[in-house]
Amino acid sequence: MKTLLRHRFAVPAAGISACIVLAALPFVLGSGDLGLATEILLVFTMAQMWNLLAGYAGLLSLGQAAFIGMGGYALYGVTNLLNLPIYAGILAAFVITALVAALIAPLLFRLRDAYFAIGTWVFAEIVHILVTKSDALGGSSGMPLLAIRNMDIDQFPVISFACAAVLSAGAMLFASLIIRARLGLALMAVRDNPLAAASAGIDVWRSRFLAFVLSAGVSGAAGGIYFMSTLFIDPNAAFDVNWTVILLFIVIVGGIGTLSGPAIGTVIYFGLRQLLLGQQGWFLVLMGGVAVLAAVFAPRGISGMRFLERWVGQTAP
Amino acid sequence: MDWIPTILNGLLLGGLYGLLGLGLALVFGIMRIANIAHGEIIVMAAFFGLMLQRLTGLNPLLLLPVVALVFFGLGYVLQIGLLNRLLGEDPLVPLLATFGLSTMLRNLMGQGFGADIHRLNSGRLPFISLHMGFANIGVLPLIILAISTASFVVLALVIGRTGFGRMVRATADNFHVVQMQGVNYSRIYALVMGIAFALTAIAGVLLGMRTTFTPYSGVEHMLLAFEVVVIGGLGSLWGPLLAGFALGVVHLVGLRLDPDSGLLYPDLLFFLVLLVRPQGFAGLRQT
Repeated sequence: MKTLLRHRFAVPAAGISACIVLAALPFVLGSGDLGLATEILLVFTMAQMWNLLAGYAGLLSLGQAAFIGMGGYALYGVTNLLNLPIYAGILAAFVITALVAALIAPLLFRLRDAYFAIGTWVFAEIVHILVTKSDALGGSSGMPLLAIRNMDIDQFPVISFACAAVLSAGAMLFASLIIRARLGLALMAVRDNPLAAASAGIDVWRSRFLAFVLSAGVSGAAGGIYFMSTLFIDPNAAFDVNWTVILLFIVIVGGIGTLSGPAIGTVIYFGLRQLLLGQQGWFLVLMGGVAVLAAVFAPRGISGMRFLERWVGQTAP
Repeated sequence: MDWIPTILNGLLLGGLYGLLGLGLALVFGIMRIANIAHGEIIVMAAFFGLMLQRLTGLNPLLLLPVVALVFFGLGYVLQIGLLNRLLGEDPLVPLLATFGLSTMLRNLMGQGFGADIHRLNSGRLPFISLHMGFANIGVLPLIILAISTASFVVLALVIGRTGFGRMVRATADNFHVVQMQGVNYSRIYALVMGIAFALTAIAGVLLGMRTTFTPYSGVEHMLLAFEVVVIGGLGSLWGPLLAGFALGVVHLVGLRLDPDSGLLYPDLLFFLVLLVRPQGFAGLRQT
């Protein structure tokens, strides 16, 4: 009973207080800090989506940069080339990346485990090269966000933050609902034993497909808002390998296959990054080293460690 | 348009691509470890060759045995010290470890060597070519193809014809059973990783002679090497060589038709093969 109470009320209570804090932030923070807060929310969202894929669906994608970058380019394409408002751009970022994911999934799903991981990475490289070659999308030099001309530049960081806050709150709610619903149970069953899951009547392919497409769409929307807030996009930033490094670090260190893991990981990631500000190279060396150590000593991350279980809720089932 | 030289050069380059994938195919075939740091090993070998060359002034081809030996040791130590501890039910744990390792090595090299473009200097060798009637063939690419093919032959002989090779094949089939026959499988794994690293290091030095590299170019080599493995298919040592030839020809023909396409066409070939023959050229079983 005690655990039931804790789970039933703790999660919504934490969610509501998080929303109140988020709503208050724009009135408290300066525009620089608000930019950082926006980035934190977006990276957290992307990490949660990678976690949904790798931790719950058992699909270890190393090509999420494809969807993050594609979301960015979808937003820039829709706002710069079609002159639509940024909100249409964010919607397009979701829809286009989800559609592309739905188209490529049948091909990638022929691959298992490590092959799947590499397949997604090759796919990200293909998208990277195609965007670099596209003159309409600014080629290798990228393009600025033209929609900013019609907007109030002082209000823009607040708008970006609001979009990021809505998206991340929505994604978190969505993720916590989905893993308790039929789809989430099906995904975990498939992850733990595809054969047994299939024999229990679960459509393995369909469950994985839904997880892949939804995760791509939300990552795309997050990528769209991220590059909107930076006011500029270029292929090397959009499809940077280090997106994968960051998501992997956050989810693995925080705890894969738990909802709270990515939150813990995000805090650690940004904490370390602020500590090593201006030392990007060494920071990446450190992240790689921590990933190796995590693989050896704590593959389930911090929330998988016994003594912390009481504070961060249940570990991976 | 005269396509014969392009295709010939593609085949010459393809031999090297095959060698880029050989170490990866060996490790994946025997131990089921997907080494994400493969590309960084290639680049590290090229940098090591560069440092040795600055020290000795010798042609990189003469440095190959030293580089191969050192990297054999590195592979052995990595397997004993790290990867053997991670073998278990979940194949994604070694993947995670090597991903972390690749991030570490890539950025360490970035800190040490900067982002400058490097190349291994092989004197006048790149400028000598043979007139073959219908095409001019560079001597350096021919030497590289010869070394690549020789590496395949030697590995096939070692794995196929020696007692050590028999133990390796038996370990790949069932490492529990070989243990009962008195074979220490973790030592076999370490030796295999050492051999794979030596082959990869040879590929890295040869690649550094043919083309430029930076600390950050490992990723594209790693992806290319995986394409070699997937297209070649598991179950045969010759699959990767054939896949290398196919990728080399597609790369150069693609570059000629579409000059700034990079590795786009090899990447697309990879997806095409997935579509029509997911088990690869030589694939006996699908992973």
